[in-house]
Amino acid sequence: MFPIDIRPDKLGEEMLDYSRKLGQGMQNLLDAGDIDSGVSPKDAVYREDKLVLYRYQRPADVAQQSVPLLIVYALVNRPYMTDIQEDRSTVKGLLATGQDVYLVDWGYPDQADRSLTLDDYINGYLDRCVDHIRRTHGVDKINILGICQGGSFSLMYSALHPDKVRNLVTMVTPVDFKTPDNLLSNWVQNVDVDLAVDTMGNIPGELLNWSFLSLKPFSLTGQKYVNMVDMLDKPEKAKNFLRMEQWIFDSPDQAGETFRQFIKDFYQQNAFINGTARVGERPVDLKQVRCPVLNIYAMQDHLVPPDASKALNGLTGSEDYTELAFPGGHIGIYVSGKAQKEVTPAIGEWLNAR
Amino acid sequence: MTQNPFFDDSWLKLQRDYWDSLANLGRQAMSAAQSGPGTGNDSASAPWMAAPWMQAMEQWRKVMAPAASDPAQTFMQRLMDQGQVYFGMVEQFTKGLAAGDTANAWEALNKTLDSMQQAFSGANTEGNEAMKRMLGFWELPLDNWQRMMSSLSPMMPGDLLRNMPHAGMPGPLQEGLDRMLSAPGLGYTREEQAQYQDLMRTGMDYQRAFQEYSAFFNQLGFKSLQRLRDQLQQKAEAGETIESARGLYDTWIGCCEAVYAEEVATPEYARLHGRLVNAQMALKQRLSVMVDESLGAMNMPTRGELRTLQDRLQETRRENKQLRYELDRIHEKLATLPTAPTPGAAQSKTSQAGAGQAGAGQSSASRTGTSQSSSSQPSSRKTSASGSATTKKTTARKKTAAKSSGG
Repeated sequence: MFPIDIRPDKLGEEMLDYSRKLGQGMQNLLDAGDIDSGVSPKDAVYREDKLVLYRYQRPADVAQQSVPLLIVYALVNRPYMTDIQEDRSTVKGLLATGQDVYLVDWGYPDQADRSLTLDDYINGYLDRCVDHIRRTHGVDKINILGICQGGSFSLMYSALHPDKVRNLVTMVTPVDFKTPDNLLSNWVQNVDVDLAVDTMGNIPGELLNWSFLSLKPFSLTGQKYVNMVDMLDKPEKAKNFLRMEQWIFDSPDQAGETFRQFIKDFYQQNAFINGTARVGERPVDLKQVRCPVLNIYAMQDHLVPPDASKALNGLTGSEDYTELAFPGGHIGIYVSGKAQKEVTPAIGEWLNAR
Repeated sequence: MTQNPFFDDSWLKLQRDYWDSLANLGRQAMSAAQSGPGTGNDSASAPWMAAPWMQAMEQWRKVMAPAASDPAQTFMQRLMDQGQVYFGMVEQFTKGLAAGDTANAWEALNKTLDSMQQAFSGANTEGNEAMKRMLGFWELPLDNWQRMMSSLSPMMPGDLLRNMPHAGMPGPLQEGLDRMLSAPGLGYTREEQAQYQDLMRTGMDYQRAFQEYSAFFNQLGFKSLQRLRDQLQQKAEAGETIESARGLYDTWIGCCEAVYAEEVATPEYARLHGRLVNAQMALKQRLSVMVDESLGAMNMPTRGELRTLQDRLQETRRENKQLRYELDRIHEKLATLPTAPTPGAAQSKTSQAGAGQAGAGQSSASRTGTSQSSSSQPSSRKTSASGSATTKKTTARKKTAAKSSGG
């Protein structure tokens, strides 16, 4: 038996259908206009250098919790992923559960920001954002939701400032950076990070994009666009894909000194696992994280493999540690319909119970 | 239907003609197979119609795309590129498969796969556009690298050194060149000579690293095709069939991705990857040093000088921010202190002096309080000897405060 049974007339019809959809999709792209991103209304409440701290406006019909929640996004990519469109918004879901949501936007570092260190980001910018929120609300402690690298930052922050964190939620957060299935980690082991940072100053976003696309190059730079044609015939879907595409390639440069330290300490030295993490002069002891911890990971995450996140279990000093596994990928955990139904309500429920 | 400038009747007609011709060729191939081999009517020699959809789309894109937003333009280009790969794959794999009988179909498929594998080994693909597009697909990761490097180095395109034929240089010649580039410079310009020698060495090193990296992707393409062949064989044995072009495409992508995932998880790939990035950075650094020296010679500010300034500025800003933070806390503490009662006007002078003393005392207490409240602030902001001393003093004050409060 021959395993390919594509009748010529059926093939012709299929390819014609593809061409028709491609044509319609192209037209929809042409008509798409400007792409907006970040849909929930918000106010800038604190600014420092390129950083902006936003507070989202609460829905009128939802009773708000008294302890505010700060979302700490990664330096890589842009935080509007958490609020990318009306029906795909982690922020909106959190607001619906009564959270008073703040979000740190780190901005786009340029060469003048090359000397920013992890210490500047964590004990400087982040701490001042937390203090601003504490003062505004008159509370000693706030809730923190750290995403991806922002989760690693939040862990360090919570260990260094346990008196300011009431509950910690980590989403797709790398903790063990050397699990066997971590391709990014495997690749970076032989990279001379000092040479790269000394040469480039800041690490260009394009270099990071290349690394991420290289994880699955045929799917992410090939198949995706072929499959997308099936969905582009609806103008709204075309716009949604453009929005996502814009986000994927919207990669800020990385402040050189922070990149140097993060890659060397974590990707190369696995600092959380080996207990060697430091921020500035201060050692980071994860046992100091004594607040309740909700650790959420994605089971099909190709950027932060599940085992890289699950390694947090047992590393903190928390007596209230919960894990939540999401059946999806690194991006799907924010934008998929399933995530809107499962992940965000679960976070709200967990926080409200504490 | 004709409301759409892209999706009009004439364009659709072109499409229909093209795919009708494909169906006709399938029927011709079938009748050729029935009349036996050697009729000269096999699919490999069939006069394939040039794909009109591609020209039509490309023309349309050039005319219309400038009106689209930037992200839409980029996205459209990617759709076009991958659409071409998809159509190319379908052409390549379906040319000989319409013959109808299993034996001929296997033969045609194996022939296609063999010729593609040969192409990865360096065989000529001139004149076979579908094949070229297919092979180009395996270069996606390489293409991504080159695009990225080009965007970082506008003066040095990412593929600048790719085809420079030095890697095949005979051993003695290579050694001679290496020796020549290692020879010490002479005379007044010896430092400049050494720099150019170093630039050439780093350039050649990058070229070698890139060619090793490219070779990795060639063998990846070869292995992916083998995987596809195996998987189709397994499907045949299991009685499964692929009944659509998209199904075939997805199977093919799955094979590429599976082989890629296995290969890039190896220490060998990590070495190639590290070598490529490091060689590129070394070359860029060498160029930067030379540019800096030229700027310095023209009495212009250099990158090195700017970085020194940036570092010093950042140190100052850290200290300023810390001081401002502490000052704000002092103000906050002061604002919460009760104001001293104002006695009669006759005692005002004495009172003022007393208040001043009390104020001094309160100020001192506030400072201690500030240290206490800012204990969560980084005590690690020392970036110089004086900064270090300040930090130690602050830490000592913190300890005292903690002790006095029973902490």
